[in-house]
Amino acid sequence: MIQKMRKVQIIGPRGCLDDCIKALHDAAVVHIESVEAGPQEPFFSRLPMEREKLSEKSYLDKAAERLRNLLALLEPPPSYRTLRVGGGEIRKILDDITPVEERIKLLHARKDELTEELNTVNRYERLLAGFAPIVSRLGGLKNFDIIGLTIEKTREDIAKIIEAEINRITGGSYQLYAKDLDESSIGIVLTYPRQHEPEVRYLLSGKAINEVRLPDEYADMTLINALKQMGRRRGELPRLMEGVEGELNRIANDWYGVMAGLLRAVEDSIDEIGVLTYAAQTRFAFVIEGWVPVDVFEPFKERFLTLFGDRVLVRELEVEEREVQNIPVSIKNPWFLRPFEVFLGALPPPKYGSVDPTLYVALFFPAFWGLIVGDIGYGAVIFGLSLYLRKRFRANNTFRDIFTVLAVSSVAAVFFGFLFGEFFGDLGEKLGILHPLLINRVEALQTLIVLTMGIGIGHVLLGIIIGAVNHLLKGRAKEAVAKIAYLALVVSFLVILGIMFEYLPKGLLTPGAIVLIISFILLTVFEGVLGPLEFVKAIGNIVSYVRLMAVGTASVVMALVANQIGGLSENLVVGIIVAGLIHTLNLMLSVLSPSIQSMRLHYVEFFSKFYEAGGRRYTPFKKR
Amino acid sequence: MEKALVALAAAIAIGLPALATAWAQSKIGAAGGGTLAEKPELSGTIIILVAIPETMVLLGFVVAYLIISR
Repeated sequence: MIQKMRKVQIIGPRGCLDDCIKALHDAAVVHIESVEAGPQEPFFSRLPMEREKLSEKSYLDKAAERLRNLLALLEPPPSYRTLRVGGGEIRKILDDITPVEERIKLLHARKDELTEELNTVNRYERLLAGFAPIVSRLGGLKNFDIIGLTIEKTREDIAKIIEAEINRITGGSYQLYAKDLDESSIGIVLTYPRQHEPEVRYLLSGKAINEVRLPDEYADMTLINALKQMGRRRGELPRLMEGVEGELNRIANDWYGVMAGLLRAVEDSIDEIGVLTYAAQTRFAFVIEGWVPVDVFEPFKERFLTLFGDRVLVRELEVEEREVQNIPVSIKNPWFLRPFEVFLGALPPPKYGSVDPTLYVALFFPAFWGLIVGDIGYGAVIFGLSLYLRKRFRANNTFRDIFTVLAVSSVAAVFFGFLFGEFFGDLGEKLGILHPLLINRVEALQTLIVLTMGIGIGHVLLGIIIGAVNHLLKGRAKEAVAKIAYLALVVSFLVILGIMFEYLPKGLLTPGAIVLIISFILLTVFEGVLGPLEFVKAIGNIVSYVRLMAVGTASVVMALVANQIGGLSENLVVGIIVAGLIHTLNLMLSVLSPSIQSMRLHYVEFFSKFYEAGGRRYTPFKKR
Repeated sequence: MEKALVALAAAIAIGLPALATAWAQSKIGAAGGGTLAEKPELSGTIIILVAIPETMVLLGFVVAYLIISR
């Protein structure tokens, strides 16, 4: 439910401001608001930011940036404890980690260098393999230059032209070896007397010819020495990189928790300075305002009284009408409903004073989900999986909540499985251990359509009733009457439909028609032309619940198909494997599709009747 | 012959809304995918938007069933 909030004002001498902010930070219950200062509040002025605070903030901002960069350079160890760092220890620990920081940066630079070299060597691998045998044969020639070239295969004719030109330049004292390197290029190794180098280089500067250029660190070597050196380095580099990574991991093991704790402390200190921008001042006092949930207001007040005595005053302010829309929304439910709050995460928070739908979601989501899946076997498997995944992801609140909801819903699926007599489709029935207690889903389609529409009628009407009651409780008479007229219109229309399809006695026709006309007029008066449109939408919403039957039937038919195909095989093992594979696919769909359909029924059909989005989330000032 | 026509009518009653739903979901899904890349926090809204056109095929299903079960 949405908690009631109180507006608090904290007033104290300016000398106590820092201690007071720290106490607020530790209390972790106040959603701090900016105090109105200026022309509206002549006694208050904005609290000026002192130069010391500004330089402190700039120092902390830089430290936070530095720590974030450092943490990004380290791989988080599999398990580490975040160090608890007090605000006063920040500078000392920052100094302590300076040598570590330098070492990390050095190791990273080394790692980058080695990675780049390995990439270069790998790039030349193709050439190494192609040229090495030829170049090693030419290795002994002194006063001769050796160069490597690659030519695109489509320009093969160039090789002959080059050879003719080299022949002319060197007077026939050259050797040229050509070899296919891959599908698209030819490698050429050319040896020629060193005195002809300028003319040869000029000749080879054409566009289609690519000289094999060596990386900088090999530039001073001859081609053969460079290639030999690259071969050696290829063997060494992975080992060197492992060494660097090993040292980085050792540093991460020792320091990651310290750095993470330090970053947290730095960010907390930045937050504490940030609060100053929300505060106001008089000549001698500071003023801070915010919102506190009702149930923690008294303990919070007591806490400040114990800490500061009568030097700091905590008092409740009266909430003005214009402020009601801006009251932050804090949702607090009993532990067993809390996992279902995950559904509100996908929507903007509800307005303060409106309805928190968590209770209704907790009641209906598992029921709808179970009705769609409706299979003991599937329910049991999903229940087991959910419990395992819930344990596996217990550190992540959202995942933990999702798997808790799924576990609860799968219990409902087992329950409906008993009613429908389904255990992996009709397997239970075939084995003679299970029979439908209520209906057979494949045969009783019409019953299911009526049943699901009935659920739709109940759910949609409940939504309208919740909306009407909420308007009444909040004293919004016009909206409440409009909602009641809306309810009466939908009910009377359904009564007339019931009479037409002979579900209800004909005697109800006249009162039904009278209520229909009166409620239609009232709705049009209060809501305008959009009122009747809403009515049409509500009827569409009710029909939409047929999806509970449609998706469920699709799932059960697929389970039957799995059993039938599995049964076609004469080999028992093959049959079980085939049926198991189809059941696995159906099981995955059974998790996804019912979840989406049930969520949609809540978000679109149900919430649209009462949910008022647009609230501000309650975010208390607390440590990270 | 009449049986075949009834079956055809039911097929059309569910087939056309199915195509319409698919077309609408393809448009919404593509736009939704783009939106999620920019604002992952809107995932709930996108799920709702993608699921909205399904009502068409459900209504088609109900009509098809009414045709067949007459």
